[in-house]
Amino acid sequence: MIIRLKDINKTYPGVVPLHVLKDINLDIERGELVAIMGASGSGKSTLLNILGILDNYDSGEYFLDGVLIKDLSENRAAELRNRMIGFVFQSFNLISYKNAVENVALPLFYQGVSRRKRNMLAMEQLERMGLADRAHHLPGELSGGQKQRVAIARSLITNPSIILADEPTGALDSTTSHDVMNLFRELNAEGMTIVIVTHDPGVGAATNRIIRISDGRIVPDEPVIAEQPQIIV
Amino acid sequence: MENWREIGATLARNKTRTFLTAFGIFWGTAMLAMLWGGAHGLEGTLRRNFSGFSTNLGAIFPGETSVPYKGFNKGMHWSMTQNDVDVIRRITPDLEYSTTICQNYGTINYGTKSTSAQITGYEPDFSKILIPVVYSGRVFNSSDEAGSRKVALIGKNLAEKLFGTEDPIGKFVSAQGVYFMVVGVIGQTSMASIGGRYDDSLLIPSSTFRRAYNWGNQVNFFMYTVSPGLSPSDLKTQIRRAICMNHPISPDDDKAMWFMDISEEFKMIDNLFLGVSLLALFVGAGSLMAGIIGIGNIMWIIVKERTQEIGIRRAIGAKPRDIIVQILSEGVVLTSIAGLAGVCFATLVLAVVDSQTADPVLGSAGFTLTFSQAIGIVLTFLVLGTAAGTLPAIKAMRIKPIEAMRDK
Ligand SMILES: Nc1ncnc2c1ncn2[C@@H]1O[C@H](COP(=O)(O)OP(=O)(O)OP(=O)(O)O)[C@@H](O)[C@H]1O
Ligand SMILES: [Mg+2]
Repeated sequence: MIIRLKDINKTYPGVVPLHVLKDINLDIERGELVAIMGASGSGKSTLLNILGILDNYDSGEYFLDGVLIKDLSENRAAELRNRMIGFVFQSFNLISYKNAVENVALPLFYQGVSRRKRNMLAMEQLERMGLADRAHHLPGELSGGQKQRVAIARSLITNPSIILADEPTGALDSTTSHDVMNLFRELNAEGMTIVIVTHDPGVGAATNRIIRISDGRIVPDEPVIAEQPQIIV
Repeated sequence: MENWREIGATLARNKTRTFLTAFGIFWGTAMLAMLWGGAHGLEGTLRRNFSGFSTNLGAIFPGETSVPYKGFNKGMHWSMTQNDVDVIRRITPDLEYSTTICQNYGTINYGTKSTSAQITGYEPDFSKILIPVVYSGRVFNSSDEAGSRKVALIGKNLAEKLFGTEDPIGKFVSAQGVYFMVVGVIGQTSMASIGGRYDDSLLIPSSTFRRAYNWGNQVNFFMYTVSPGLSPSDLKTQIRRAICMNHPISPDDDKAMWFMDISEEFKMIDNLFLGVSLLALFVGAGSLMAGIIGIGNIMWIIVKERTQEIGIRRAIGAKPRDIIVQILSEGVVLTSIAGLAGVCFATLVLAVVDSQTADPVLGSAGFTLTFSQAIGIVLTFLVLGTAAGTLPAIKAMRIKPIEAMRDK
């Protein structure tokens, strides 16, 4: 069990406090490819941020790979994010003045890996993404799909336990979205656990399990239709 | 090494802003350094007007009595004599250096050349009270005075008039018809003088003067310095007592003799210097403040502008310390380089000013900065600038990475 959520509650404080996540119970096994779907404002991103230790929750328990994630110091949280989690975002979140290799290598900088080794490993990841020839381009010189593949390469470089993707295809056209989803499926086939937040049914259909969330609650499981292989062209 | 590349990359990222920040720091440190060195030079310029001039100098001149005493009417003139001076020297232990002074104005001849100049008789101590510049030869010694030798020191302007390019040493000049052998050529650095400038005078030993011109034991006035820790005025009572022993002057007659205490004038000048230093300090503190606020402001903008980047870095594993160290290192690198450049620039400017204002005789006015002052300025900017940068950096850590990433 790589992810175990027990009775997670999250309220955004404010003049009118917003109870966003209500008694969330969720288990994700190692090697799963999961989609989290739901209406806008239902709490998908909030849930994913908690999974990614980017945000905290008010009550309940969250175990990531057996480690209880609760009341962590910012240093410990940063370390766990760095070693165990790879992030992919809708808006790519690449650093604009660093080229592709430097962006991919950045997580290793915070592990104290030498520059040579970092860049070597980053090149390997970029080759795997078919982007070796774009290694020295700045994000601004890359297409949306290429940027997202650079971001995926970066998420993989520390060899994390899980990849968390929030609307990874949200800014891409349908063809590119397919490419990215195929990439995720390949990575999953190699054993990577991947959680994708999306409201694109096509993306959901390309995963092995869909967790539906509505108004902060998880909607009970429904069987997955066995049609996803068609999506891989 | 790893960090240096990272710092270099981020500084190179926004070249205009990096340049403007660097220029601000450069200007701040340069201004401060120039102000400091400038104040120092200004003080030096003023002070060198008095170089060679003892600041604990006093003098006493005979005058006219203002009260009748021992059968003498008021308004009596009295003359100072060598005898008075001997008594003063005997009963006043706190004299440091002292000399009697006899003065006359008359014709000086050398060969066919002739000019008028001041002829002054000094005792050898004069060269310790109003220190002369000796261009050639020597100054008087005690055997010149004791033996009433017919030797003379000639002021450099007077020497030029009479000798042109010829060497005056060993030559004889006549003053009011009496011949003296020139043993030294001297001049004066101080703008201030008592009893005429050396440059335009002929100096002979005091005893020689009195004998040559039949003055008996009369002298014009008496000049002295006091031992360290005392002021010339402290000796007034003893000197007055010594003189009253020899002359029918009432001990209460304040107007019968005139005292001069140069240390009073110098206190005013010292206050002026203090004022200049305070002003420099004030303006300096102002420009330092402006510089620090500038750095703090820029750091604030740097952090603000990079909120998203900081969020990304933290999401992928940067610890708060990593981010703060990075931001501060950028500030430190920028401040060190720009600050050192600023101080170097100021040093250059000061060096030019110093060489322009240097006097061939008086030397440099001191438009300079010591190495430790320069380093002090850079370090102050560094420490205060870093402190100013820490605030926004720490504040940036309060924003959650996820919110920071959303920042556009
Ligand atoms: N930092 C925050 N402070 C207060 N309220 C928030 C905050 N972040 C999100 N919310 C609110 O919480 C609710 C859930 O937000 P969340 O971003 O998790 O939704 P979502 O399911 O990801 O929606 P979308 O599909 O539009 O991305 C929304 O009503 C949102 O307005
Ligand atoms: Mg969302």
